[in-house]
Amino acid sequence: MLIRRDADDIREIKPRAALGALIVVCAMLVLVVRLYQLQILRGEEYITQSISNYRKSLFVPADRGMIKDTKGRTLVDNRPSFDVFLTAAFCKGKERDEVFAKLTRYLQLTPEELERLKNDYQKSWLSKDKLDRFRPYLVELDIPRDQVDTLEAHKTEMNCVDLIPSPHRNYREGASLGHVLGYMSEVTPDEMDDHPEYRRGQTIGRRGLERRWERELRGKDGRENIAVDAKGRKLDKETNELLIPEAERLIASTPGNNMVLSIDSKLQEIADQTFPGRAGAVIAMEVKTGFILAMVSRPSFDPNQMSGRMRRVDYQKLDEDPLKPMLNRVMNENYHPGSTFKVVTSLAGLEKGAISPSSTIFCNGGYTMGNHRWRCDKPSGHGSMDMKHALQFSCDAFYYALGDRIGLDSISDMAHRMGFGQPTGLDLGREITGVIPDLKGLDPSTGSPRSHAINASIGQGEINVTPLQQAVAYAAIANGGTVWKPQIVRRIEGPDGHTLREFAPERDLANGHDGRLDVKESYLALVRSGLVAVVNEPGGTAFRSKLPDIRFAGKTGTAQVKSLGSKQKLDPTTQAYLSRDHAWFAAYAPAEDPEVVVVVLNEHGGWGAEGAAPTASKVIAGYFNIKKEESARGEAANPFAAPGPPPAAAPDPKMAVQ
Amino acid sequence: MALSVTEKKLDHLNWPLLLCTFLICGLGVWNLASATKNAPVAMWFVQARWMFIGAVAVAAFLTIDYRHLSTLAWPGYFAALGLLAGVAFAGKKVLGARRWLQIGSMQIQPSEFVKIAVIVLLARYFTKDETGARKGQYGLQDLWRPFALILLPVGLVMKQPDLGTALVTFFIAMTMVMFAKVKWRDLFILLAGGVGASVFAWARLLKDYQKQRVLTFINPEAYAHGAGYHAIQSVIAVGSGQWSGRGWGEGTQNQLAFLPEQHTDFIFSVWAEEHGFLGVLMLIALYTFLVLAALDVATNAREKFGSFLAIGIAALFFWHAFINIGMVSGALPVVGVPLPLFSYGGSSVVADMLGIGILLNVSLRRFMF
Repeated sequence: MLIRRDADDIREIKPRAALGALIVVCAMLVLVVRLYQLQILRGEEYITQSISNYRKSLFVPADRGMIKDTKGRTLVDNRPSFDVFLTAAFCKGKERDEVFAKLTRYLQLTPEELERLKNDYQKSWLSKDKLDRFRPYLVELDIPRDQVDTLEAHKTEMNCVDLIPSPHRNYREGASLGHVLGYMSEVTPDEMDDHPEYRRGQTIGRRGLERRWERELRGKDGRENIAVDAKGRKLDKETNELLIPEAERLIASTPGNNMVLSIDSKLQEIADQTFPGRAGAVIAMEVKTGFILAMVSRPSFDPNQMSGRMRRVDYQKLDEDPLKPMLNRVMNENYHPGSTFKVVTSLAGLEKGAISPSSTIFCNGGYTMGNHRWRCDKPSGHGSMDMKHALQFSCDAFYYALGDRIGLDSISDMAHRMGFGQPTGLDLGREITGVIPDLKGLDPSTGSPRSHAINASIGQGEINVTPLQQAVAYAAIANGGTVWKPQIVRRIEGPDGHTLREFAPERDLANGHDGRLDVKESYLALVRSGLVAVVNEPGGTAFRSKLPDIRFAGKTGTAQVKSLGSKQKLDPTTQAYLSRDHAWFAAYAPAEDPEVVVVVLNEHGGWGAEGAAPTASKVIAGYFNIKKEESARGEAANPFAAPGPPPAAAPDPKMAVQ
Repeated sequence: MALSVTEKKLDHLNWPLLLCTFLICGLGVWNLASATKNAPVAMWFVQARWMFIGAVAVAAFLTIDYRHLSTLAWPGYFAALGLLAGVAFAGKKVLGARRWLQIGSMQIQPSEFVKIAVIVLLARYFTKDETGARKGQYGLQDLWRPFALILLPVGLVMKQPDLGTALVTFFIAMTMVMFAKVKWRDLFILLAGGVGASVFAWARLLKDYQKQRVLTFINPEAYAHGAGYHAIQSVIAVGSGQWSGRGWGEGTQNQLAFLPEQHTDFIFSVWAEEHGFLGVLMLIALYTFLVLAALDVATNAREKFGSFLAIGIAALFFWHAFINIGMVSGALPVVGVPLPLFSYGGSSVVADMLGIGILLNVSLRRFMF
């Protein structure tokens, strides 16, 4: 025996071993409880997490709907392009650094872009939502063809990088329709919170129609789900089919709907090219429907550039431009209407009985009230004026007197009936109201009610209107009193071309008179005769813009600009530019049975007759040229008109079995 | 006489313990085959071969009285220390740690055998120590020697660095101390000393990555990118097993490599993912049975040395299983501890088989003298 037997000591061990056994069982039970918690109570949750580990969703972006003009010509479509995405979860540590280096080389990233790439990578990892690192994020948008080829060639070295074909917007008209169409840019995290159907790096419509009709245009993304291993490598077909249920492997995308506008791209081009101003607006609108045929707001932006890769300096340039290219002057800026407003004073005066069609007012070169004298355009005086001639010569003194007779509220009531002082209702985003003052809202310190009425009578003082409101008001004079809600979308078509929704002309019910002027036709006729004389009779302020073959009517306006003062330090050229008056011209054509209303506003364009009327004249000529050409080609009956209901679907055989 | 002894021996063999071991080995190899399905070599076969070699060694060892181990305690201890020193100087560096010793075409992990050596040495110490036996109880002044004995190898293992193995070795030794007649008051003093030592270890001894692991355990979300990623993926694997698991070879966490170290430290996650809560219950039951059987051997041993050996082996299996399962299920920090007879690794398998051999030997000889 090597060791003596010591039974006593063994006995000592027994109770300790029993205690040990108890501890062992308890410890193991603790593990069992923990595993029960993980596997049974929270099993579903972990199954979901394990699935999201290997499941990679590749997006199949939907084709965004096209935008066409009224003749079916394409204004906006999509061109093939590729975006580069990176999934943070699939490259870590050294591999990550290599991928960054390669991307920098292949995509020629600037240090700034590389920094952003690294930050986004970090954000993906640090996100509270652990699945975030499995969501691909945008590295670079719309890369050039040769970079696509390079990346394709090195694809196998970078499992975490995906080249996603994504059609990009192609705005064929460039900057001309920038404010109408809007542009696209990447969705913000806030937007994604509200609309989970958007994924990181996708674009969303900004401004204009792209924004307004985002829902219709967007379509529905499809997706392809594939299974990958921990390194992001695609698995073999068999395993893939085992892990991804067939129904989820490929969910096809649904293209967006197409928009057919009332814009005529040819007329738009003419409006854009004939408008000489640095800043301003041109609108052409159908008199009998309120559909807009052309709409220029200058300066503008190129939606192609805005939707592409914008550098910080590009934004800065847009932001600092004193002419504010991002401002849609058609509906988001207001101006004194100047003499174009005299139609309002005229109708108010006639309705009030303050003047009859044949009675006259004497112009001695101005109008005096108390110790203040308002000067007429013609210092020597127009002499005895009736209303037609007062419009033709744009005599201010006539309107000072008339305004003084009827008072501010009569003018503002008529203005409201014509659609001034409230949004026109054009469905294209934010729109300002302009300003139409009335006695109740006046600040007494700004002058007596009479002086306000006198200022308002010629569209100065507090009166402010948008070019779009002018178009609506002049269309109402031209069409016998219907105040339209202007529209720009004629219909929405499905991807296959059949009409989903047709927009009918709508009256502007917000004008308080059921979309009508409620003015005697004879009064309107008198105002129209004055507007015809403006263009067509010698001495008319726009006589020089008269067209040989088309009789049209219109009214010039010259809106005084507040003096700048010396607080702004600008170079003399700019100073001189900014001190010039705004030029207006509002016209409709033909003079008899009018079809189209054209409004031109040339900021700091000087006299309306010089700065605005020629453009309007050319746009009107263009309108009729286009019409003539088309009827010559037999296109008068619009071949792109809605093709009617789609052919009835063949009866479903499954239904037949029942 | 020899023949009758052999026959008797077979009768007296601890069959339940043996059966339990075989079951664990079998399931381990089967599970390993799934965990290494995509590996270029048949690792399950390599593992099975080591188990067979271990089993043969056990069979041979059973013919010798285990008490001879007592004389081998010191040489074994120094041999183990020598190997550890060898690792420190000539060890193979893998993933920043020197844990392996290259001998010919074989790699061995000496720290696995150090545990056995420590068990044998402490068993001898508590059996032979005259001062303890005389007083009937151990005081603190009697314990400094065994502490010094275990701190040397534990320190060397820690240095590799291999926190998991160092901790387990320490825990095994502590467990054996508990079974010696130590006064409760002294145990409390030890506990306080332990806390103090931990604080010191945190401040001075732990490597950054080891601290990281502890921090990760406390708040895995914050370290999801690095260390915590393992813990999270492991918990996902375990949790997604649900009741009955996803089936052999069907666990996506395992097969698609989301699970790190799935054939070694995280082998239990593979089992849990593919065989679910029911499989997990079975496996935990087997390990519990193994440990209880070892404690049973300890209580029924005829003398103190065998009893302490059995307690050491019981502690070996318990601490490995408990820490490993606790770690992969996110209940304990991630420390590299293999699951006995489940994790891939020749050294660990042979050491575990040696442990089983000791248990069987002690159990067998309670009838023989």
